[in-house]
Amino acid sequence: MKTKNLKIAAILLVIMTIGLSFTSIDKITVKGSDTLVILSQKWAEVYMKSHPGVSIQVTGGGSGVGIASLINGSTDIANASRPMKASEVSKLKARYNTLGVEIPCAKDGLSVYLNKANGISELTVKQIGLIFSGKITNWKEVGGVDAGIRLYGRESSSGTFGFFQDNVVKGDYSPNCQTLPGTAAIVNAVKKDKFAIGYGGAAYAEGVKDCAVKVDDKSKGVYPTAETIKNKSYPITRYLYMYLKSRPTGETKAFIDWILSPEGQKLVVETGYFPVR
Amino acid sequence: MKKITLAFLIISAIVANAQEIHRDTVYSSLREKVDEQAMKIAGYDERISADESVLNELNKIKISGYIQSQFEMNDVWSADGSVHGSGTPTVSNSFSLRRARVKFTYKPIDGVNFVLCPDFQVNKISLKDAFVQLNDLWINTFSLFVGQFNRPTYEVEFSSSAREFAERSLMTRTLYPSERDQGAKLEADFMTKFNVPLKLQFAVLNGNFGEGAIDNQVKDIDNGKDVMARAVYSFSMPNKGLGIDIGGHTYIGNTTVIAQTTPVPTVFKDVNNNSFTPIVGDKLKKELFGAEMQVYYDFLGGLSLKSEYIRGTYSGTTNPTQVNSSFNANKVRNIEGYYISLIKDVGKNNVASIRYDVFDPNTKLSGDAVTKKDDLKYNNWTYAWQYFFNSNIKLMASYTMPINEKSLNAGADYIKDKHDNVFTLRFQASF
Repeated sequence: MKTKNLKIAAILLVIMTIGLSFTSIDKITVKGSDTLVILSQKWAEVYMKSHPGVSIQVTGGGSGVGIASLINGSTDIANASRPMKASEVSKLKARYNTLGVEIPCAKDGLSVYLNKANGISELTVKQIGLIFSGKITNWKEVGGVDAGIRLYGRESSSGTFGFFQDNVVKGDYSPNCQTLPGTAAIVNAVKKDKFAIGYGGAAYAEGVKDCAVKVDDKSKGVYPTAETIKNKSYPITRYLYMYLKSRPTGETKAFIDWILSPEGQKLVVETGYFPVR
Repeated sequence: MKKITLAFLIISAIVANAQEIHRDTVYSSLREKVDEQAMKIAGYDERISADESVLNELNKIKISGYIQSQFEMNDVWSADGSVHGSGTPTVSNSFSLRRARVKFTYKPIDGVNFVLCPDFQVNKISLKDAFVQLNDLWINTFSLFVGQFNRPTYEVEFSSSAREFAERSLMTRTLYPSERDQGAKLEADFMTKFNVPLKLQFAVLNGNFGEGAIDNQVKDIDNGKDVMARAVYSFSMPNKGLGIDIGGHTYIGNTTVIAQTTPVPTVFKDVNNNSFTPIVGDKLKKELFGAEMQVYYDFLGGLSLKSEYIRGTYSGTTNPTQVNSSFNANKVRNIEGYYISLIKDVGKNNVASIRYDVFDPNTKLSGDAVTKKDDLKYNNWTYAWQYFFNSNIKLMASYTMPINEKSLNAGADYIKDKHDNVFTLRFQASF
């Protein structure tokens, strides 16, 4: 009798486990990268129009904030403008027993913004790195006028901050780099300051000029354009990602499939980024 | 007509002049207001920048922690609530505070962390983690820990706040009591810089057990240092939703006979259960070799299979300064143990888990040849269910069924399986 009860309990437990695993949701929360927030909001708006029963809530805060929210369970999708770190994957393993799911959803080039009045128009990746790490502090060191360089960058929770640090600065940022909340604020600061330099998404460069970036001293400067970012000849290109705890199901899967469809990728181009397909 | 024109011009001039005077007054008043506001803003700027510098300092301190409060019910041998043979009344259920820890991490500059983690108990406060961590800033690969920290094995390092079961496996609790030891540990993580998912750890430790009187844990007690090494490689197949971590560890050390204990001279038992009498200064083996594997698979949500296996030689003593309460006898033993855990995320807020763990504290004896309960092998089943109210609060129900090896010669309680199952209902709040 006891064995029979145990068997029934075990069967019920298995059924409950499988049943609850299929739980689907109609409200999707998306949080993270500020670089992706405008595009994400557009995706959500257009998708909700054609799927009235679905509610999608999009907020920014930075890639780090988005991934932290994914780990603590307060968002379904984390937007990130950098790949997930090993330490973040470890936390997902510990709490959710998965490695997470990475979905590249757009491509982006990171522009280096200069004031339009600045005589400099091209720099090597190494020079840009030395400028932002504080080892080059005067424009004359890179062929410009004798004037101090003023640095503007993102906050440390930003994926753009992390990507630029890992791929260009390759070390710590200069303590003189002023952090601003969002790429638009950086563009605005550079627009007003003749001797300023900043970085951010290629889609944001309004009222400032893009710096042509050279891989090294011998190569030609390349501007961040649709063509150069797509064919990767522009040296500072990256994928933009969505991260999930586990493989999407139900409405979340439908939303992601739609983002990767021609209709969703059309919005990528309209927002100033580049499609993954 | 001329007079009218003249009068009109004069009136216009007066009105225009009056407007000019009014505009000047307004302009001057506005100017004053703007200057006043500009001064206020400059004042705020100054105050904000002072506050910002204070905030930046405070940002270097991170505080986290958790409290585990539980209700526990445990089997007793007899239905009347007394332990078999002794008649002593036994507590079979109780509320208790299992863990209450606060972890302070201070990062004064890049590459340096100070970590302090006290454990608050009802009658005392003890120190769990207390170490300085130095990270290399050049290739972002090496970290040096000096102080008191977790011994490097998977189950030891996996935080009690994240664990899927109420307690660690019997093997880990016996071989690595209190989880921590004092010493220095060098870690190399080749992922950040080289994108190679390999982690190496090497530690030199006092080799104390970290139990018993606090005075015995302040410093090393026998001059001899124990060493530990661990390597873990992570395979990742994201397209299949599969990740496999494989690794191994070793512990090489000794239990030194630092004094003869009563009755003098101290008589030990070797791995074959033969008596021998060591002299003070003799070193008894502690050599462990372990393998581990964790498999993560995305199947209707997270699913993981975790396992560790350890075998080797272990030694214990009744000397109170070297106490390991789980191996508290004058003996050297060949030991073996392992555990296998299966953990399944169920929906968004539930986790179901099951663990089978085995620990044999004496591989050379079995059945009726075992004459002491401390040499009995245990097979334990543990079932647990966790419900996460949110990221800070979870409820865990955990049921452990220890099944002991039967022996006619290890005491009346162990002629058959002792009734010692434990049910734990635990609330955990973390921040």
